[in-house]
Amino acid sequence: MLRSRTFQIAVPALIVMALLPLGVDGYILGLLTLAYYYAVFAMSWDLLFGFAGEVNFGPSFLIGIGAYTAALLNHYWLWPIPACLVAGAFAAVIAGAALAVPALRLTGPYFGLVTLVAVLLLQNMIVLFAGITGGEIGLDLPDVLSIDDNTNYYYALVFMTVSGAILFGLAQSPVGLILQASGQNATEAAALGFNVAKHKLAAFCISAFFSGLAGAMLIFYMGTASVGTVVDIAVGVNVIIAAVLGGRRTIIGAAVGAIFLIGAGELLRPLGQLATFVVSAVALVVILFFPGGFMGRILQSGGRE
Amino acid sequence: MRISHKIGLAGAAFGLALAAPSARAADPIKIGVIAETSAISGVGIPNAAKMAAEEINAKGGVNGRMIEIVDYDDHSSAADAVRAFQRAAQQDKVAAVIASYISEVVLALEPWAGRLKMPMITPGAASNEITKRVHDDYDHMKYVFHGYLASTQLADVVCDAGKSLMVNDLKMKTAVIMSEDAAWTRPLDDEYLKCLPASGLKVLDHIRLSPDTTDFTPIFNKIEGEKPDVIVTGISHVGVQPTVQWQQQQVPMPMYGIASQATNATFWKDTNGAADGVIFNMVAAPDVAVTPNTIPFAKAYKAKYGSLPGYAAYQSYDDVFMWAEAIRKAGGTEPDKMVEAMEKTDYVGTIGRVVFLPKEDTFAHGMKIGEGYITGLMVQWQKGNPVTVWPANVATGKMVFPAFTKLSQ
Amino acid sequence: MLALQILIDGFAISSLYALGATGFTLIFGVSGVLNLSHGAIMVVAAVIAWWVAGTFGTGAYIGALAGVAAALACAFFTYRVIVRPIQDSGAIPKEEKEIFVLTGTLLWGIMLQEAVAYLFTDNPKTVRPLVEGVVMILGVRTPWNEILTAALSWGAIGLLYLLVNRTRTGKSLLAASMNPRGLTLLGFEMSNIYVLVWAIYGILAGIAGVLLGAFLGVSSGNAGTLTASAFSIVVLGGLGSVSGSLMAAYVVGYLETMTAYLVSPSIRTVPVLLLLVLVVYLRPQGLLGRR
Repeated sequence: MLRSRTFQIAVPALIVMALLPLGVDGYILGLLTLAYYYAVFAMSWDLLFGFAGEVNFGPSFLIGIGAYTAALLNHYWLWPIPACLVAGAFAAVIAGAALAVPALRLTGPYFGLVTLVAVLLLQNMIVLFAGITGGEIGLDLPDVLSIDDNTNYYYALVFMTVSGAILFGLAQSPVGLILQASGQNATEAAALGFNVAKHKLAAFCISAFFSGLAGAMLIFYMGTASVGTVVDIAVGVNVIIAAVLGGRRTIIGAAVGAIFLIGAGELLRPLGQLATFVVSAVALVVILFFPGGFMGRILQSGGRE
Repeated sequence: MRISHKIGLAGAAFGLALAAPSARAADPIKIGVIAETSAISGVGIPNAAKMAAEEINAKGGVNGRMIEIVDYDDHSSAADAVRAFQRAAQQDKVAAVIASYISEVVLALEPWAGRLKMPMITPGAASNEITKRVHDDYDHMKYVFHGYLASTQLADVVCDAGKSLMVNDLKMKTAVIMSEDAAWTRPLDDEYLKCLPASGLKVLDHIRLSPDTTDFTPIFNKIEGEKPDVIVTGISHVGVQPTVQWQQQQVPMPMYGIASQATNATFWKDTNGAADGVIFNMVAAPDVAVTPNTIPFAKAYKAKYGSLPGYAAYQSYDDVFMWAEAIRKAGGTEPDKMVEAMEKTDYVGTIGRVVFLPKEDTFAHGMKIGEGYITGLMVQWQKGNPVTVWPANVATGKMVFPAFTKLSQ
Repeated sequence: MLALQILIDGFAISSLYALGATGFTLIFGVSGVLNLSHGAIMVVAAVIAWWVAGTFGTGAYIGALAGVAAALACAFFTYRVIVRPIQDSGAIPKEEKEIFVLTGTLLWGIMLQEAVAYLFTDNPKTVRPLVEGVVMILGVRTPWNEILTAALSWGAIGLLYLLVNRTRTGKSLLAASMNPRGLTLLGFEMSNIYVLVWAIYGILAGIAGVLLGAFLGVSSGNAGTLTASAFSIVVLGGLGSVSGSLMAAYVVGYLETMTAYLVSPSIRTVPVLLLLVLVVYLRPQGLLGRR
């Protein structure tokens, strides 16, 4: 049921998105391009939280590792973009596993704290080794994906669609169900004979893979890698808000939340400094009154069991 | 007399506006301003740019077209600034951009100025890298101009003034450099290390601090232990906190050098008066007629916005006039022609005579520094007012230090 | 000389950390809430104190009171409008309340921070200290304000200790953190206890904010860092353990001060982060936490 309902919503939405460049100007496309990358961040996070039940406070640790690996390879060794992307994604997986293996022994706030500290450490390291990483100023990249808005837009759209489909498929598969079971009651899941730790580790690595890849794509879209774009706590905070806002445990809800968050921030630009205030207030109201988020409500009204 | 003159101008502008719909040429020329509007050094950038646009429009605009300022808040973030820049270029179709006082932000925008062929100038960032990129890759980066002094040039001003104020007047011999760890201070510190000894101040130590430092006690104690005669600063992201702690701990040596936050009129209030005695660099100050335009601008700014302009506001104001002039000379907003016209700028604004250095210079598209061009000032906070103390020919007062300062004899 | 300097400076900053973290850990102990708007509430207290004292010329004391009152109001709002509705909500599954409280308080913290930046700019503000001047302690020149900061922090913590251990209301508070169900059975209304604990929290966070504003200066951009540092101290000490937090505050304060003096001020926070990772891996319940 959920599957068909999700497809009923996702397919027409994707068709509209694919046709957008025919009728919308470059700026809106640029904005959506950014939003689609954020959507992948948020979907990866949702896999970990919604299904594995782990609150990762540091999505930007994974994003940042992927982005900076790709950036360094491109900046210093002029690796071609595809090679940088692959390297970035795998670096994120390795860093993610290194973080997750010990961290997954912890639960609740402890796990959250370790992931938070990981971000702070990464940020400190980047600033400390400013000679190599560019520090606060960031690294500028010799290559960009494209300077054409339409091309960039389609890169992002295809990337988001493929990542979303894989993450969604995973979440709906038996593996996803085991994750969900272990997220809600780890002891019971273990009693049923599932290796909870192994499944959670797998979820973390998959989340890391897509976060890192999306981080690397994002910097090749922007043309610079900087702490403020891919590592800062604020980036992670936005990802978490997007996922909860869109509806946790739905994967595509996270994407909707991310697009809303970036879009609303821009629509409210005339409010100047108050824009962030208003977006946060709206998000707070949604969380308080519609805890299922945007998609939670829509999908549930379609009768999920 | 003056008022009626202005009304006359406004009337003329009104008449023009009425006649406008028939003429396509009367579409406004947009100039994008990307700045940190909630940061105290940043808010002056759009404010001053709007003043300049109003003045130009009151005199009939440029080639009969009005100037319209479109402002964007980048929240001090490079990512937001890049988005704003793309929006300015692709959606709002601005002719030129005035961007930011933060080097990190300007450096992130620079490649985009090249990619989108969008003329851009920064009114307040100082990194040497900005002009170095123009020099190294002129064909791509020629759209970028540097409307403020580069770090090396700032250091030279501080050293020149130091020779007169610290060495000659106060008989000082030693200094400790205290600067924040950021892009713009690397060349600044390199130059300090060279030019301070040349001015007669031996550098005892060189301390770089993290820009998110909040507790400066250990730093001041360390400096005090080394017994220098003066602390030479290079700070911009920090400012209020070190100043307040310097005063509370009664650190006995003066703070002298670059302190961007100190250039703002609200600095006195933000520090509860702890700023008393701090000496900082500015290119134009509200009490000094650097040019005939300086004081009228500062007064008009205060009348309009309630406080004196911060350092970047002066340049931002001038930048609008310079773009307008470049568009006038180029006969339109074609980017390559605007760049060509901008390179020929010879403009006396609020900060001095602005001439941009040629592409062969290491500071390509940076401003020409020196006697008769841009010289720079040293200003000191005294009892709530900024008082210019150097150079001697324009100084409006003498240096005065708080009671806890112990000047070596 | 250097050792004495580290001792004195480390003490002042540590006391301030201790005060900031006490309220934070108290709330967690009693109601299981991690309040991520903590830093923003401290910032509000400091900026309001600066604004009232500076704009109305009321003097430092009235300003400080106004700051604490503002923090108290924010704390109440946090509880009544965000935390309580989430806890009472039937639509949020029990195991997800935690993430909702975290996200909710985080959003509220961002709103406070943005409101401060909008109304007062994000330039750092400094609260005028209650006392000016310096005193020599064995050759180390120490501002009176630094001594006062440490003294007031300990005064507030001491009062809290008396309240918890010597009064009936306080004892119920202590009991609530150990066994909320038992307390309900004894006829105590848990919601009254929650209101009390949030009130205490508001006052503590307010005092900490005002003192921080007077000692170091505060800008709206500091909110996130302040929350993260309270969070770290509390985890290091053991979640919910007040004495653990006090101890952890001194570990963090001295480690930072020593790094700044002996190594380099630019890596001030790095050793603390490494220590934190180490402690969380080796002893996740924290220094003095119970599991």
